[in-house]
Amino acid sequence: MTSIDLPDIVRRQWPFRPRFACVNCWRMHYVDEGSGNPVVLLHGNPTWGFLYRDFVAPLTAAGYRVIIPDMIGFGLSEKPSREQAHSLDGHIANLTALLRGLDLHRATLVCHDWGGPTGLGFALSNIARVKALVLMSTWAWPLPPAEFHTRIFPWRMMHAPLLGPYLLGRHNALAGRGIYLSVVDRKRFQERAQAAYEAVLPDPASRLLTWTWPRWIPLDASARAFDRFAWLERELRACSLPALLIWGREDDVFDPSVFIPRFRQLLPHAEGPHLVTGRHFLQEDSGPEIAAHIIDFLRRLA
Amino acid sequence: MITVVPQPSLDGKRLAFVLTEDRLGHYPEFRAFFARIFDLDRVGLTRPGYLQVPSGTVYALIFIGRSGEPFPSGVEVHGVVSALEPIDEAGVDRDLWSILRWMIEGVGGEWTADAMEATGRLFRVPASMDADRPRF
Repeated sequence: MTSIDLPDIVRRQWPFRPRFACVNCWRMHYVDEGSGNPVVLLHGNPTWGFLYRDFVAPLTAAGYRVIIPDMIGFGLSEKPSREQAHSLDGHIANLTALLRGLDLHRATLVCHDWGGPTGLGFALSNIARVKALVLMSTWAWPLPPAEFHTRIFPWRMMHAPLLGPYLLGRHNALAGRGIYLSVVDRKRFQERAQAAYEAVLPDPASRLLTWTWPRWIPLDASARAFDRFAWLERELRACSLPALLIWGREDDVFDPSVFIPRFRQLLPHAEGPHLVTGRHFLQEDSGPEIAAHIIDFLRRLA
Repeated sequence: MITVVPQPSLDGKRLAFVLTEDRLGHYPEFRAFFARIFDLDRVGLTRPGYLQVPSGTVYALIFIGRSGEPFPSGVEVHGVVSALEPIDEAGVDRDLWSILRWMIEGVGGEWTADAMEATGRLFRVPASMDADRPRF
């Protein structure tokens, strides 16, 4: 059971049985639906498994086991109360604990936003358990992911000392307005989904990770995660796992004209890109279409 | 105008916790600003800093130390309010916005009040909004 009271409109779209696992000393919520080779759907900041609600039915119907964890600090998972509880390596270890605990093999990892560095961190250190990668609006190299992330307005101001806890904590700016600004069909998002992201971050303390993750994006070589991202880039360049790139055509933060070529340098064998309607949170605009691309990709691999 | 003030009388008052920052030095110029304003290299943990905001309310800044990190590593912001009365949430929110603006202006350099106000408007923070400003 979860202690968060999800609105009815959310429950109707998210009817899946909640499951919990103790991972790396934290309580992680996940769903585990269907049977077959596993497909692990990984969200980022500030979302949770709900982002993948339109993926579950088509993937399970196509014969796959769908596992959707909520990152520790988000969704229905435990939310640490101190910023120092969060680190990129710690989040990779959290995911590793879950996926090893489930003893997954032949897993496809679908990575979005911070689900990229964390999911790839697992994949590249547990290659024998992984069958394929799907990458969407994410990155895996040490320098700033986009020019956007170097700007004061709005990115660095948004998570600056005290501004982060005020804007993203007191005012829930990222889970509310932030996602809203990063989808194409904003009216539909407002009507059907915004409540789901706001409901699971009900008070300022619960929103800690929304301003902590931005602070983990390296802006220079002195950054905390610089070495881990350098490792991710190096390992990904040597990775021969089948890979698929899917991107939002309207993504103005992780611009596909910049990010797709960068990923193609690292993974020249990657399929795609499939460009779909979407900004950064492309699953909100094109969930069923993305799920169909993943199914088609996996069927061809089989 | 925000002014640094001596410790006020705490008779009949309580410290109401309203905001915290675990990583004041994420951008080091923010930590340097507070160290400079409150002489923290000398004062250390001996006493909070106090600010009076335009509404008249005084806020205590309680600085946090963390082994192995430059001081201060963090800060808590507390309103000095009537001991038994609930705080005025909207008023606190406006006060915090004015403190943040004071901080940004003090940090200076590439951190500008215009960028802060624009960020507030982008996210429709009530304290940053007024009828004359463009909406995103």
